[in-house]
Amino acid sequence: MIEAKELRKSYDRVEAVKGVSFSVERGQVVGLLGPNGAGKTTILKILTGYHCPTSGTALVGGTDVTEDPIAIKRRIGYLPESAPLYTDLTPAEYLDFMADARGLEGAERKKAIDKAVVSCSLGPVFHRPVEELSKGYRQRLGLAQAILHDPDILILDEPTTGLDPNQILEIRQLIRDLGQEKTVILSTHILQEVEAVCSRVLILNEGSIAAQGTTQEIGLALKGEERVNLRLRSQTPGFGKTELESALGRLSVFGAIRSLALEDGGRFACDISLRARASQGAAGAAAASEASAEAGEAVFKWAVSEGLILLELLPRKLSLEEIFVKLTDPRAGTDGGRK
Amino acid sequence: MKGFLPVFRREFRASFNSPVAFSLIVAFLIFTAGWLYFVTGFYAAGMADLSAYFGMMPIVLAFIVPALTMRSWAEEVRLGTAELLLTLPFGEFGTVAGKFAASFAVVVIAILLGLPVPIMAGFLGRFDPGVLFGQYLGVILVAASATAIGQWVSSRARNQVSAFLGSVVLLLALVLVDRVSSFLGAGGLAATILNWLSLARHYAGFGRGVLDSRDLLYYVATTLFFLYLTAWTIGRRKWS
Repeated sequence: MIEAKELRKSYDRVEAVKGVSFSVERGQVVGLLGPNGAGKTTILKILTGYHCPTSGTALVGGTDVTEDPIAIKRRIGYLPESAPLYTDLTPAEYLDFMADARGLEGAERKKAIDKAVVSCSLGPVFHRPVEELSKGYRQRLGLAQAILHDPDILILDEPTTGLDPNQILEIRQLIRDLGQEKTVILSTHILQEVEAVCSRVLILNEGSIAAQGTTQEIGLALKGEERVNLRLRSQTPGFGKTELESALGRLSVFGAIRSLALEDGGRFACDISLRARASQGAAGAAAASEASAEAGEAVFKWAVSEGLILLELLPRKLSLEEIFVKLTDPRAGTDGGRK
Repeated sequence: MKGFLPVFRREFRASFNSPVAFSLIVAFLIFTAGWLYFVTGFYAAGMADLSAYFGMMPIVLAFIVPALTMRSWAEEVRLGTAELLLTLPFGEFGTVAGKFAASFAVVVIAILLGLPVPIMAGFLGRFDPGVLFGQYLGVILVAASATAIGQWVSSRARNQVSAFLGSVVLLLALVLVDRVSSFLGAGGLAATILNWLSLARHYAGFGRGVLDSRDLLYYVATTLFFLYLTAWTIGRRKWS
């Protein structure tokens, strides 16, 4: 459906996208994940024909976006970053313009507008000027505009920014539903979002793909690096680093020692990674929190049985930055993600 | 011309959703009528002569039109809606032409709302409807060119203020350039070129009720040229 080959884009002297290739099949929901400035937005702008690539090609349904942009724009619904809207119109007038733009007429037009308004819950503000709308409503109007003409391809640049938690869940559900029959590419810097809605993930860093694969594969790679910070004190005299290392070996959930230090008063501070567990895609977030509770219990029981006093147990979530370090640094093995 | 109608309708509707169009129309009417009655001393002259009224139109339009066109692209870029507009299945020229038509329609409404002035003057003296038609056609053609030029400046400007100032300066220069040529002496090459460029010089014939196809062509060509230039400016941005 969508194929990018060696895409490159430079703005002035900055190279924002450095040779990115990927393909997206029909009916997939693909997430572009990466920190700000990773090139997510630039890639989406190229796919929608707003920017032309400096080199490389982007094919949508087999057609090059620079060759027949109008045909491609017709098939795409696009929500640009931060959902820009004409503030001098009401949502009703705005969707009217979009229906005009998409060539919708008569009964079909009314049906399309009604459907978009219901899907994005815009009813209460339908006749209020956009200027007066909250960020959440603006974002939803942007989304309504993108799905209005029932496009095969949806390109959503950070679709849930500015929404409250309930709205985020609603919009994610909407995207999942749309993903049943459409091809969706969305960008985000929120890991949970990818886990919640995407079937495939492309992780971008500094304009290149750091890793790509199914959500399960990437999830596994990331979950493998679940870490716990421990502070311990031993009641046994003469208990040193070596003893602690061998004791850790008997911990059922133990993976590897990342750092270990002996502090004043015979206290140890150590940072350990837990053993990799398979987590299952969309249910990943819930499963992970359950698993980390189990891990906590295991560590507590282990400490008791080893005669250690547990002073601190701090499960540590990897931040996105650390994930990038892990995925981009060749020394830290990327067991799940395909390079 | 894909996109012409949707863009035209949206822009036209939006200009009447905000006070912009209304204030400009009122400003135009007050200024032109005030100029006629107070500055040119229409009553004091004791002659039903409207040549001064039409003579100042290019200068008035050089201020009024930029106030309307300054938004057209500068505001789209600021709000980020340019990205939305340019990812719709439209060609650049259709979009540009739609925006042009919407601004032009507002200017034409303002000009036509000024009709009571010559009609009223018509009661005071004898007016040739043919001359009046020529004068109005001239004003509308100047407005078309000014709107296309204003939109082009807006497509190059970073914000509305610089779009406004840039358009006013450029339009005033184009209106007044034939005054410069009189210093150069008539008949010289430079003077001919400057006269040919002047928005006001081509307008003069219409003011006397003379329709010259070369003048007509000048305004149509200027308008189209700047519309294409705007579309080109917008299209080229994709590659930057």
